Amino acid sequence: MKSIKTLFILTVASLSISCSDNSEPIIITPEDYHASVDNLGAVMVHDIFSPPVASRIFAYPNIAAYEIIAQNDSLYNSLQGQIPHLGSIPKADDSKKVNYELAALIAHLDLSRQLIFSEDRITSYRDSLYTIWEDKNAKEFNTSKEYGLKVANFISVWMNDDNYNQTRTMPKFSVEHGNEERWQPTPPSYMDGIEPHWSKIRSFVIDSAAQFKPVPPPEFSMDKNSAFYKELKEVYDISERITEEGDDSEEVLIAQFWDCNPYVSVTRGHLMFATKKITPGAHWIGITKIACRKDNADFAKTVYAYTKTSIGIADAFISCWDEKYRSNLVRPETLINAYFDDEWKPILQTPPFPEYTSGHSVVSGAAATVLTDIFSDNFDFIDDTETPYGLPIRPFSSFKAAAQEAAISRMYGGIHYRAAVEVGIGQGFKVGNLVNERLKMLN
Amino acid sequence: MRLVNRDVFSLALLLLLLVGCKQGNDTLFNNPDESKTGIEFTNTITETDDLNILDYLYFYNGGGVAIGDINNDGLPDLFLSGNQVKNRLYLNTGDLKFKDITEKAGVSGNSSWNTGAIMGDINGDGLLDIYVCAVVGINGFNGHNELYINNGDQTFTESAAKYKLDFDTYSSNATLLDYDLDGDLDMYLLNHAVHTQESFGNIDLRNKRNYQTGDKLLRNDNGTFTDVSEEAGIFGGVNGYGLGLAVSDFNMDGYPDIYVGNDFHEDDYYYINNGDGTFSERLKDYFGHTSRFSMGNDVADINQDGWPDLISLDMLPEDEKVLKSSEGDDNIQIQKLRIEKYGYHYQFTRNMLYVNQQDSKYLETALLSGISATDWSWSSLFGDYDQDGIQDLFISNGIPKRPNDLDYINFASSDQIQKKIDNTKLVDQQALDMMPSGNVRNYVFKGQEDLMFEDRSLTWIKNDTLISGATAMGDLDNDGDPDLVVNNINEPISLYINQTNEKASYLKIKLEYKSPNTIGIGSKVYAYNNGNLQFKELYTIRGFQASSEPMVHFGFKDATQIDSVKVVWPDKTVQVLKNVKTNQTVSISYGNTKAFNYESLRHDITLIFNKVDDNIGINFTHEEDRYIDFNRQKLIPFKFSDRGPAVAIGDLNTDGKDDIFFGGSKYIPSKVFLQEDENFSEYKINEIIKDSIKEDVSAIIADFNGDEKDDLYIGSGGADFFSTMQPLTDSYYVNSGADFVKYDLPDFYENASVTVESDYDNDGDLDIFVASNITTNDYGNIPKSYILQNESGKFNLLEIDGLANAGMITDAVWNDYNSDGTLDLIVVGEWMSPKFFKNINGELIEDKSQGLEMNGLWQQIEPFDIDQDGDTDYLLGNWGTNTKFKASDKHPMRMYYSDFDNNGSTETIVCTYKDGAYYPLLGLNELASQIVSIKKRFRTYKSFAGTPIDGLFDKEVIDKATILEVEELRSGYLRNDNGEITFVPFNNVLQVSPITSFLTANLDSDPGDEVLVGGNYFGVTPFHGRFDSFPGALIKNEESIILGNKLGLDFSDKAIRHLNIIKLNSKRYLMATINNDQVQIYEIKN
Repeated sequence: MKSIKTLFILTVASLSISCSDNSEPIIITPEDYHASVDNLGAVMVHDIFSPPVASRIFAYPNIAAYEIIAQNDSLYNSLQGQIPHLGSIPKADDSKKVNYELAALIAHLDLSRQLIFSEDRITSYRDSLYTIWEDKNAKEFNTSKEYGLKVANFISVWMNDDNYNQTRTMPKFSVEHGNEERWQPTPPSYMDGIEPHWSKIRSFVIDSAAQFKPVPPPEFSMDKNSAFYKELKEVYDISERITEEGDDSEEVLIAQFWDCNPYVSVTRGHLMFATKKITPGAHWIGITKIACRKDNADFAKTVYAYTKTSIGIADAFISCWDEKYRSNLVRPETLINAYFDDEWKPILQTPPFPEYTSGHSVVSGAAATVLTDIFSDNFDFIDDTETPYGLPIRPFSSFKAAAQEAAISRMYGGIHYRAAVEVGIGQGFKVGNLVNERLKMLN
Repeated sequence: MRLVNRDVFSLALLLLLLVGCKQGNDTLFNNPDESKTGIEFTNTITETDDLNILDYLYFYNGGGVAIGDINNDGLPDLFLSGNQVKNRLYLNTGDLKFKDITEKAGVSGNSSWNTGAIMGDINGDGLLDIYVCAVVGINGFNGHNELYINNGDQTFTESAAKYKLDFDTYSSNATLLDYDLDGDLDMYLLNHAVHTQESFGNIDLRNKRNYQTGDKLLRNDNGTFTDVSEEAGIFGGVNGYGLGLAVSDFNMDGYPDIYVGNDFHEDDYYYINNGDGTFSERLKDYFGHTSRFSMGNDVADINQDGWPDLISLDMLPEDEKVLKSSEGDDNIQIQKLRIEKYGYHYQFTRNMLYVNQQDSKYLETALLSGISATDWSWSSLFGDYDQDGIQDLFISNGIPKRPNDLDYINFASSDQIQKKIDNTKLVDQQALDMMPSGNVRNYVFKGQEDLMFEDRSLTWIKNDTLISGATAMGDLDNDGDPDLVVNNINEPISLYINQTNEKASYLKIKLEYKSPNTIGIGSKVYAYNNGNLQFKELYTIRGFQASSEPMVHFGFKDATQIDSVKVVWPDKTVQVLKNVKTNQTVSISYGNTKAFNYESLRHDITLIFNKVDDNIGINFTHEEDRYIDFNRQKLIPFKFSDRGPAVAIGDLNTDGKDDIFFGGSKYIPSKVFLQEDENFSEYKINEIIKDSIKEDVSAIIADFNGDEKDDLYIGSGGADFFSTMQPLTDSYYVNSGADFVKYDLPDFYENASVTVESDYDNDGDLDIFVASNITTNDYGNIPKSYILQNESGKFNLLEIDGLANAGMITDAVWNDYNSDGTLDLIVVGEWMSPKFFKNINGELIEDKSQGLEMNGLWQQIEPFDIDQDGDTDYLLGNWGTNTKFKASDKHPMRMYYSDFDNNGSTETIVCTYKDGAYYPLLGLNELASQIVSIKKRFRTYKSFAGTPIDGLFDKEVIDKATILEVEELRSGYLRNDNGEITFVPFNNVLQVSPITSFLTANLDSDPGDEVLVGGNYFGVTPFHGRFDSFPGALIKNEESIILGNKLGLDFSDKAIRHLNIIKLNSKRYLMATINNDQVQIYEIKN
């Protein structure tokens, strides 16, 4: 809200001076880029995109922006060829007159618009910016816009070839009734398993969705001595202990801090509503912003950081979802209700997809690995990403420390077993390392 | 332009005037003003930060109404309870004038939150007492249920504690009944849970008794009430959300039974009185499915067969805009989970009308009857408001805020509420205000013949925007016709004063029974006139949180006198009055009684079939595979993977006796039963078992190669395998004497639906017509059907013009319709008309002069001379009208078929006509699950709701879609009158489910053939429900149809696929083959 208000004031201010001078240079700052990413994130929350889909929506606009920047900044290499299926983006007709940062931002805005449902929320934001830029320097703006949109179109064609559209009409996930080991829809909404075909989405860096296929989860068994049973019991015991300790216990705070559930349904009798938060991918995009700011990253580095991180996150989801619908493992809630306590509820609402591996763990592992590569290890920061959702801030000594906490938070939340968390974060590290290894973005 | 507009305007004005005039003439009820009646009661609800719909889920359920003559002056008085306002008692002083005597009477009440209010003579002194329920113990509500004992001088003494009825629980209503027939009135107290159950939990929860939430059966022990719930078998758990409560002797054994409607996922309870002080809950035995968010209910004999029928209300909106912006039914996987894993019963979001079938499952007809969708409905009251002798129906409606609005759930709440969340309060007033209002009008329906109700809401009553709840009936102005009193939220109560007056005859009956049941609660009254029966039971506590005037009211059109009135008293005695004049109030006092035999009510049973316990060895249970078509093609209207099993009868082992082949579904082997001397026994044919991957839908046993041994042809389908996958091929096994040998067939891949044989080319061997009903993954595309032309035991594949692409064929028959001595071919199917193919010397040519252009969802065809005029008529099984599908000649149902999102796969969108446009049946979420782009076009449910199909897509997208149509959903027959063909629909009992099988045979003791009819179908999503209540029927001729439950058939809740006669030792048996169930074998008694 605040930013829109500021924009409005800016618009009014620029209108009043525009007549006199229409040739001042348009300066695009890293904050402008942060604002566009933030706005995209907010629209995704409104439109309710699931975590895997959200990761795709973050990635493509960033790549478009990055490819434009890499045209003009010799510090950065194009991803063409590094992402095997990405070709060379079109060159600007008149490269001297293009403001590449502006073009990058415009490309980011346009791909964002294409990817979400509520276009008006992007276009009204975009149009107010367009007005400002046009007033400042119509020529520079129009040349840059033309180029930005051209690249956006190019990326859009490439993007639409990633099997996303085809997976929309693929079969729903069929629940295996009567097999205890297999995932069942969970309370309170008992939603269908989401994105059962996400492994069929074209990846960016990993060779295939199964490249980092994790070890299978502990073999399902309700024998008290089995590894599986012990892990199940551990989830229950932790939950019982920290529930007793209360909402201020460290574990509960950690669980809630990393909830990142885009759609938690709340029911009161016939009354229903959803509390919505950002996805885990979006949380790490938020951390990227924090790191960029702390690092005083310039525009190019900002775009670079977002791009590489969002690629890591996107591939992490593909890798993770591949395993989820392979092992198709039952959530702790289903078994705890059946075996220990039929009234037990996890601290966090169980998300609607199979358990193994933990999405948070894989994604956090991948994102932290990429961010460490960009900003260095032991890069401490204060995470205030989720304050708009009423959550506190938390300090971290490094990206990997944050990733470890995000991973274990899912056990505290009562929605994952230990194996999903521990194996998951390792799976994420592998994805992140491959991204670091394969993408030579810095010259 | 301007002129046109003005014309339109004046036309509209004219129309308005016309409608206005019409309304004026047909108005049945008027609403006198409170200034005239003296009743100034408004149930004002005050929302606070601490008390609103979030803190108390039933914040909007409203107060109660009770009508009864408390001072025995012949005028019914009126008691009203309010949630937060004080109760009021109004004395009827005549001429619709009322006097507030609350203060003098001392009945204003002390509880914080009152709910249902009832009257009854609880202490048996001949004076009506008042019982007021309350919610106590949450949200700071205090007090207790209050019992006001009538002192006879317009004063009352609160005596709940003395009678042990001072419950401080979450009560919504109570009813009075003499369940143990000991002569005094006992009580059933309806309580409700107040928490929100987030997970289903096991059904066992209902067995864990909870004082606050559990219902209670309270036995009257000489003036004090004892909680006997536990020993009587009444559930009292934490998941009972009791809103509906009806008492009736549903099974007509003299002992009152109880129906409890529960909100949310807890099943309703159907308590059958065992006659020994206990009840058995038997919902699943008598109901195929129930309403889901069950609210008020009511009992009346709507089809005049002397047995009580039942309505249970829900909250399905009628208005397209509301419908599409409200949360709908569960998806099919959640339904499976709730039923298979947690043990609940089938529940669907719509009103349900249960027509009593005596000792078997109810026929559920609400969709057919036209009363399934009346929005957020609270109270239903049957009554003969226009006194034409048929029960009408009033339904009260409305909710201040619609909490199930999808935009609210998904968008408003998060964007707006999110910011307001703090630790103490989840939602503030501003957020509550964002929910749309649900101030829907009340409904009134005129009862019609043949289970139909006609919506008269816009004429009989004034259109309103009230939030109406508890409703009671009584003759307030003492003019003979029944009036209604409705308690509203935040508006004065409504009086609906009936203006039938002298236009039709009535009879009001007041009963004087033995003390302490002075008003004769539980008595049954039968009125006979001109061969017509009307039947009522006296239970005053009806509808929702209300009790009506203790009297029995009948309407008799213009009759001045009726033949007789019979009263069956609670003590199982009967008393008859003959030649009773109408237009009077008759008091009938207990006396001159004779014993009454309830068995006499079961006189019209004509058992023809007797189920054989051991199935004479045919122990075949068809098991359907678990494939869910809707997971792949999310928008198709029904399944295709569940149309089996195949059945074929013939002599497989050449011993002169008939054997049976049953097809297995996908991956499940087919089975063969050989006939032995005394019974059948299973026989494994390895060659067939090897092909178990195939889903065998149709089969023929016949001698195809002329070696005098029966061979086997199997048509496979199942709608899962696609393209040219091997399991779509059919199979041909030749009987070698020692074994069955698989023979090659020409290459063709189809989802077989039916295979029928005939030597149509007259060359001495049997040819086969192989029909198909679906192209896998491409529903809407017309699949190919084939002729397999037999040449000495080898088949040639023929695609015959007009026949190969005739449609989505479901059934076919070779029959010489033109009596030229050769067998012609008649085919029926879905989205098509019956088609006749004339056989001219082995050429099959479509004969358009025969069939009618009448697209249906045809399932079956059977030649039968139903009008007994010597020529052949054709019975046609269709989808029936008890469905959300709607179709007529003028406004056919449409299915748009196209690749709407240009992604290379096709979709279908089924639309029905409503108020001038075609709307998709399914909502935004369902459409978006297959066509994602639609979410970009419609970002809110509100913008989507009320958008016709033309508005959902660009014109060029709509224009390129193929449109398939259905004009007729009714089953019926093509009547042949000297070559003149007309379609005659069956009556409504045969329209409750799709008809899926016919069998012509002589089954009863009369000479000549009858047709036995089987039906029901479950392959639809919860949106459509479940077509489960057709009990089968025997059609003897146009006039005589006997339902299966009276013949001894057990067809309710079974998806009947095939009916056959089999012979064992020259004795005939009926075999019913059922999808996903065990075969039934019946002896035929004649």
